[in-house]
Amino acid sequence: MKPLLRFLILIVALITALAPFMLTGQTKAPARPWTAPKTPWGDPDIQGLWPGNDMVGTPLERDRALGTRAFLTDEEFAKRVAFSEEQKEIDTADTVNPNPRVARGGVFVTCEQDPNLCRNGVRIGPPNYWDERGKPNRQASLVVDPPDGRIPPLTPEAQKLVADRTAARRSRACANSPGGCHDSWEDESLWDRCITRGLVGSILPNGYNTGNQIVQAPGYVIIRNEMIHEARVIPVDGRPHVGSAIRKWMGDSRGHWEGNTLIIETTNFVPGIPVGNTPTSDALHLTERFTLADANTLNYQLTVDDSKTWTRPWTISFPLKRSDDYQVFEYACHEGNYYMYNALSGARAEEKKK
Amino acid sequence: MRTCFLGLTIILLLMIPALAQTPTYRAPRLNGHPDLNGIWQAMNSANWDLLDHPAQAGPLSQTGAIGAVPAGQTVVEGGEIPYRPEALKKKQENFAKRQTDDPEAKCYMPGIPRATYLPYPFQIVQSQRDLLFVYEYATANRLVNMGPAQKAGSDTWMGTSNGHWEGETLVIDVTGLNGLAWFDRTGNFASDKLHVVERFTRTGPDHLQYEATIEDPSVFTRPWKISMPLYRHVEKNAQILEFKCVPFAEELLYGQFKKKTNN
Repeated sequence: MKPLLRFLILIVALITALAPFMLTGQTKAPARPWTAPKTPWGDPDIQGLWPGNDMVGTPLERDRALGTRAFLTDEEFAKRVAFSEEQKEIDTADTVNPNPRVARGGVFVTCEQDPNLCRNGVRIGPPNYWDERGKPNRQASLVVDPPDGRIPPLTPEAQKLVADRTAARRSRACANSPGGCHDSWEDESLWDRCITRGLVGSILPNGYNTGNQIVQAPGYVIIRNEMIHEARVIPVDGRPHVGSAIRKWMGDSRGHWEGNTLIIETTNFVPGIPVGNTPTSDALHLTERFTLADANTLNYQLTVDDSKTWTRPWTISFPLKRSDDYQVFEYACHEGNYYMYNALSGARAEEKKK
Repeated sequence: MRTCFLGLTIILLLMIPALAQTPTYRAPRLNGHPDLNGIWQAMNSANWDLLDHPAQAGPLSQTGAIGAVPAGQTVVEGGEIPYRPEALKKKQENFAKRQTDDPEAKCYMPGIPRATYLPYPFQIVQSQRDLLFVYEYATANRLVNMGPAQKAGSDTWMGTSNGHWEGETLVIDVTGLNGLAWFDRTGNFASDKLHVVERFTRTGPDHLQYEATIEDPSVFTRPWKISMPLYRHVEKNAQILEFKCVPFAEELLYGQFKKKTNN
């Protein structure tokens, strides 16, 4: 027994003595260049949880004053950091605040400055801590092309379409009521109706439930969005699109790999589906690119092409960060859509008062 | 020598039942496990009624024979759902109000196990670890976690799915179901105590056997089981399309609050 014990002590002592050298040896090994992992069936492996919450707060369109400058200067970035710090302070403060500050267009305003923000001194809408705030970054706008970071002008026909719709909306009796028009569910947005945020909206950084998950199988990539529980199945086996009579809210997607980049082409959208507030045409064609830049960064690029709606294609680009511990919740939007009952029944109740 | 021959005969005789059984199908492998990838669909009328039922008129006469219930044989083992007496009463109430109260009519998420045998296809997306089930109906989907089991964070329509492999079978333990989904259009139901254990076994190139054990002591007197084959969509161009049914349910759900026009 005793010799064995002595032997064990010796071994432990040797390991303890050598450990620092062993570790040093490891760290001194030449750093291998990072190579993108592959799935067992040989496709680049981009699976994982890629929430967009880091980019929340980065404006979609660039401040005109920045011109064609895509990234902020130190001074401009410092302002964004300060704004974020103030937001953090507001978020952690007591939710019932006599004069709450609410972020509006890059500045904070109070109820005194904008009485519409509050009722009886309490902010209308969810409490501040509800929202994802993102991490301040130097990207001037999510739109990266055209070079000024702004969505290009509408075509004359699209301008007319938008103008006609606006005029039609304004001519309605409900247009002058304080709450706007809630005659039917069709007066509500596709998002409020829990139908879809649309493909462009599905992945844009948003205030809450911004989870994106990618799962792959041989011949397929699936992009799962937490909000409105979308799961877009993208064949990557070279098959053609479905027939043009089949229209989908999320479009019909086909993907292929170019090196480590997944390129997805999507067509067959429901005619007129809006991108932002702009109704699109049957020519809407989206091209997405997913490129794994390193183990934890998936660069995303989306080009919106609809020659009947915009005078030129435009591109959004931003990095998605891997977050293995992000928890995707079931976004049972339609199942819990009290908004719809309240908006419609509230409008009917208001009419009865008159 | 004779004893030896007799022994051999006995061994052979003992083997007959085993040899007579259909040999177990061995599915192609993905990362060492049976490959369940594919677009699958039930081919039965379990979504209309889990139990034996003759063909009958649907709840709406306006749609004529379209909307009638196809006849079907039960998918429940033993042909009976063991309701507690008070729960059976609730099931009958559900049936009476099925036209408006069936979550399927409202385009609500189908829950488990109903998602499996809705009359819409679903795709099993099997990666090297986790699986994603994508249902065409209502863009419902669920991730099946194949790593260390995770506790349900909160009750949901589709539940929390933890899976593991038992040889040829994918076993999924589903908890955290909110119990608001129904099992079929006749109002068979459970509560938020529902616990479902599902088993998916490939039985051929284009067949997937499905089994679900349903346990809910607040509604049923004992666990019960459903089973059915699922069939692969073998069309070259098969793909999950979109059945976003919210727009089809809005009149039913919100019609009473729509502004009346005096036309």
